[in-house]
Amino acid sequence: MEELIQPKKKLRLIDKIVLAVLLLVFLFAFYVTLDANKYRALVRVVAGEGKVGVNPTDQALDFGDLSRGTSAVRRVAIENGLPLSLYVFAVRTGSIRTLVKLDKNYFRIPPRSSDKIEFSVYMPASAEIDRVYDGRVYLFKIPMP
Amino acid sequence: MSRAARFILNLFVYLAIIGGLIFGLPRFLTWALETPYPMAAITSGSMWPVLNEGDLVFIQGGRKLEELKVGDIIVWRGTEDRGFTIHRVARINGSQIITKGDANFNEDQPIEFDQVVGRALTFRDRPVHIPHLGSITVLASNWKK
Repeated sequence: MEELIQPKKKLRLIDKIVLAVLLLVFLFAFYVTLDANKYRALVRVVAGEGKVGVNPTDQALDFGDLSRGTSAVRRVAIENGLPLSLYVFAVRTGSIRTLVKLDKNYFRIPPRSSDKIEFSVYMPASAEIDRVYDGRVYLFKIPMP
Repeated sequence: MSRAARFILNLFVYLAIIGGLIFGLPRFLTWALETPYPMAAITSGSMWPVLNEGDLVFIQGGRKLEELKVGDIIVWRGTEDRGFTIHRVARINGSQIITKGDANFNEDQPIEFDQVVGRALTFRDRPVHIPHLGSITVLASNWKK
């Protein structure tokens, strides 16, 4: 039985450059993903009017218990200790995604300074009583020159 | 056929397909759905959770007042060029229609039937919508403000 053995193709310079750029892009995206602040976000709908139950925690974006027509606000501080600006944006997922509003998104934090993002949830009339709306909020911080 | 001629022919075919979709689809939808406004973007959360901000909904025109019923999602035009509103029919009083956003606590002001542009196209009693595709319109309207 005969086997065809093909000689190994050497990478051209342009291939090496493209591979290096792709690797750098991948490593950068990996770093940004790892460095992102990740929070579990949740809110429970309770019956009644004007009821707001607060669950104080700094581990999650817990908006507590809210009845229809009420709202809750949570703030997250972002520190930039780098000598570069940080481009910040938040991504929301899960059933709470459409309920959480941000006071700002897609913004820059100057070098060696801090800023705050305000997350608010308003419970609309169509929210299901006793349902827990949850999900995750990711705060991505991209160093910019 | 030379490579250049084949490239130009392929490009021409692709452009024809894209052009056909961009210009032909709205015309086709206008004809098929019997309305000059076959699509609308959701610009607020008033119909949450059925329709979210940024969704694109399809509008069906050519309806008669007798065919409208409580629970239908309709599109109506404001009297003083207030733009379009997409809300659910809450009550019908003779020729007057009263709508309400699912997420709202209060009903809208009564409207006349001639203000109704159409009804949201439904499939199995749920409005046909494409999530996020209406975001471009939402961004443009926010930009104007």
